[in-house]
Amino acid sequence: MTAATAAPVRHRTPRATSAIPLNAARLLRIELRRNAMPWILPLIAALFWFDSYRPSTGTAQLYGLRTFWNMGQGHTIIDFGPFVAGVAAWMGSRDGRRGLADLVTVTARPRWAAQLATWAATTIWAVAAYLVFVGVMFAWYAHQSVGGTPPWWWVAVGATAVTAFSAVGFAIGAYWPSRFAAPVAAFIGFLAMALSSQTGFNYTSGWGLILPTNSNGTFDGNAQADSGIFYPWLPDLPIARIIFLAGIAVAALGLTGLPARAGGPWLRRAATVVTLAGVALAGTAVGLADTARLSAHGMVIPALHGAANDEPIAYTPACGRAAGMPVCLNPAYRRWLPDVTAALAPALAEVAGLPGAPVHAIQVAAAYPSGGSGPPQVITLGGHPPVLRLSLGQLDMPGPCGFCGGPIATELFTEQLRLAFAHAFVGMGNGSGSPVQQAVQAALLRGAGIPFAAQPRLLAAAKNGPGAAAGPATGPVYAAARGLATLPAAAGHAWLAAHLAALRAGRLTLKELP
Amino acid sequence: MNIDITDLTRRFGRTQAVAGVDLRTGAGVFGLLGPNGAGKTSLLRMMATVLPPTSGRLRLLGRDPGSYGPRREIRRRLGYLPQNLGYYPGFTVAEFVEYFALLKDMPPGQVPRAVAAAVGQVGLGDKARAKLRTLSGGMLRRAGIAQAIVNGPELLLLDEPTAGLDPEQRVAFRALLRDLGQRATVIVSTHLVEDVGAACTEVALMDAGKLVFQGTPDELIARGEGTGAAGDAPLERGYSAVLAAARSTTAAA
Repeated sequence: MTAATAAPVRHRTPRATSAIPLNAARLLRIELRRNAMPWILPLIAALFWFDSYRPSTGTAQLYGLRTFWNMGQGHTIIDFGPFVAGVAAWMGSRDGRRGLADLVTVTARPRWAAQLATWAATTIWAVAAYLVFVGVMFAWYAHQSVGGTPPWWWVAVGATAVTAFSAVGFAIGAYWPSRFAAPVAAFIGFLAMALSSQTGFNYTSGWGLILPTNSNGTFDGNAQADSGIFYPWLPDLPIARIIFLAGIAVAALGLTGLPARAGGPWLRRAATVVTLAGVALAGTAVGLADTARLSAHGMVIPALHGAANDEPIAYTPACGRAAGMPVCLNPAYRRWLPDVTAALAPALAEVAGLPGAPVHAIQVAAAYPSGGSGPPQVITLGGHPPVLRLSLGQLDMPGPCGFCGGPIATELFTEQLRLAFAHAFVGMGNGSGSPVQQAVQAALLRGAGIPFAAQPRLLAAAKNGPGAAAGPATGPVYAAARGLATLPAAAGHAWLAAHLAALRAGRLTLKELP
Repeated sequence: MNIDITDLTRRFGRTQAVAGVDLRTGAGVFGLLGPNGAGKTSLLRMMATVLPPTSGRLRLLGRDPGSYGPRREIRRRLGYLPQNLGYYPGFTVAEFVEYFALLKDMPPGQVPRAVAAAVGQVGLGDKARAKLRTLSGGMLRRAGIAQAIVNGPELLLLDEPTAGLDPEQRVAFRALLRDLGQRATVIVSTHLVEDVGAACTEVALMDAGKLVFQGTPDELIARGEGTGAAGDAPLERGYSAVLAAARSTTAAA
């Protein structure tokens, strides 16, 4: 030790206000450098790989499906949350565990400020890791040519959830400076996620939609596959969840400023206000979620809804030809264009030249059910000239299907699309149609390469189909269909040309079939 | 007076740790002696604004630490080394000292130079980049002293600062104390009377929560002369004589 050679630097001038941000930045730099969070990140990365990324690769290459598991059901949050809460509790309990609480308390800066610097560094590491992991996952999706746009709002929900876990864990550690604070906080985090998942499954509307692992709504239903493809991901529910989670984070941080040694009376009053504001934010978000309703393109919360999000996304279609007719799809579905044209070609060839036959096929957005009767149709036919509208988002596309029990065979997709076409062509709408419509549908399917014997199974299995019971292809409908199918092609074509309008209007009976 | 204490008491439940202490002192090195449990650490913690007094009047650097604003001003001018110093094992020596410099609201421009100076003063210049977990107990103690002096405190409170230091470091530390005492009030709580003799201009002796002696080291030595009190050195004999007298007075009362 040297007494006279190096006297300590003395400062007696009043501290400038501008020094506060600079000092805070330096504190943050030290805390970032010496934070415990990086040590846990390899474990989270491994969990993220196995739990969030790998299951998603089994689904079709569309963002709405790829992110169902990791964003919709919140598995990225589940992978991060408990560990982040545990490490944050470890950091929050640091001063107490290390016997430094006195020393930190008697500095000029309020202890709350020092704690916030520690918390901020912990959270920056956690949120940065979350964003990097999700970013890498999405970059890999892009490399795999996954169609659509990434659900950035749901990423923001995840980042806010990580922040909330960090805040709650830190508060637990600050109030309970023990080495057991970390495992207890991690367990509480895990329990919260388990409860969120279990409760969330039961709520398709109401306050339960606020739960961060509730996939009901945007990530469930017919429009799931087309989210972010034809229309933007609706931010309403994500915004409500961000408000909810931010409220929890703010309230937890406010709580750490309440103890007497956290700072002066003014600061503690501010901490009280912050805590109450956090609780109010979270409560407001729950109230907002309670007003959510399912629209055609996702969950709408009237107080948060922006009309701009109802505007369709402009795109240049990817087009091909089936039986000489142009078939145009959204570029997100480009990889399936050959499957679609191949599936439609024989069915379109059967009806080519008929007065009500389509002249063009376009893809339209799948819509969530909104109280209509029966399942929405995969294919509709209408307009002058008639245009075939393909709502492919309602079908399982060929290839990996994730949670369908196995990959979807091209043959199954082909049969389903032909069934949907025949269903629409004979004018069966959302119902199962009249007997004569069923018979003509069966004959058309037979002409498109699906034998009568295979049709009952197809009708039973068809996604969003009429849901008929599988059985033998017998009875008056199939008898009539067989009669129609035995006609020469020209005769059948002529009969359809003469009776198509009456058939679609439901005015024919089986006896009127040739 | 940098320290102005009148009838200060502190209770922990039924235990009275500090019982009516009066103390006034200005710049210089002030030694606080006393046996274990005499109340030295409690008195020091009150002066460090960690503990509020139960009763009595406490003014530090001309301010009342009972109010938040003045307390913050005191803390900005305060250096404190607790008896049981904790540390962040992952921090380097320089980071540890810088961390407290920043918490003490030092002007940002002065921090790097102040940290280097404080670390150098305690003889840890070559260990500035070493993690605290790699240091010996004596080195950790010196790192603790460095954080206490980094802001050039006007009031420096050191609780057992030489515990764990080897004789060479102890000698150097006493020189540092003398230097700091030129311009600040330095209160050193210790068991080691040789520290007091070598570095302190004034000394107080506590027993059972009370100040039983206050004067210069020479006056303490004088108290021991001719009493036959136990001790190998004159200061130790003075220490023993004062304690014995205080205890006999208490017993008689």
